[in-house]
Amino acid sequence: MVLTIKVFGKISEEIDQMEFSIENPGNVSALIEKLQAQFPQIQELKYAIAINHQLAKPSEDIPDGAEVALLPPFSGG
Amino acid sequence: MEKLRTPKNIFVQGPISPIKIANSIANHATKTDIGGHSIFLGQVRADEKDGGTVRAIAYTAYEEMALQKAFEIREAVFSKYPLTCMHIYHSLGEVKTGEICLFVFTSSKHRKAAMQACEELVERIKAELPIWGKELVDNDTSVWKENT
Repeated sequence: MVLTIKVFGKISEEIDQMEFSIENPGNVSALIEKLQAQFPQIQELKYAIAINHQLAKPSEDIPDGAEVALLPPFSGG
Repeated sequence: MEKLRTPKNIFVQGPISPIKIANSIANHATKTDIGGHSIFLGQVRADEKDGGTVRAIAYTAYEEMALQKAFEIREAVFSKYPLTCMHIYHSLGEVKTGEICLFVFTSSKHRKAAMQACEELVERIKAELPIWGKELVDNDTSVWKENT
């Protein structure tokens, strides 16, 4: 099933998109691998992945229909 | 019966005005069990960058997650300290140097709870809320801010 990924901050600028779709690879580490291949320009950048508004661990499964987001290091305040 | 708290909007478009801060203080005059307030104000600094000086910061956020996280932080800090009131405001969009981008306001019967809670809130807001600042430099370049 296709996931919609929201993108923020520097990552969004690098890939020039606020949102894109990708086939759900199952879990977070598989998603990261897929992203590194699809967007070589973000390979060196730091980012966390959130699933349904919670930070996710690499081993975490991605449920179909989940809201997934790529979050560069926070810099509020 | 205890009041059920739900996520509140913390975001303000553009800078937080000194008038909003003054009004917020004034609004507590009727709460006469308060003995101390603690206020933190974050202000945009004119840092020197390669080839220029920061003139503003443009803030963006993953709003739904930030509001959910701010709610969790609010609940945790309320349960840790005996607070009467807590207010958090963060800017979105452009805030010029010298303007206020973060306003954290805690009130309690006694000063220590208000001061400690305020400090903890500021640290957690900066570390845990998905908000990003892009520093706009006066030579038309920009740099993504990094919190230290």
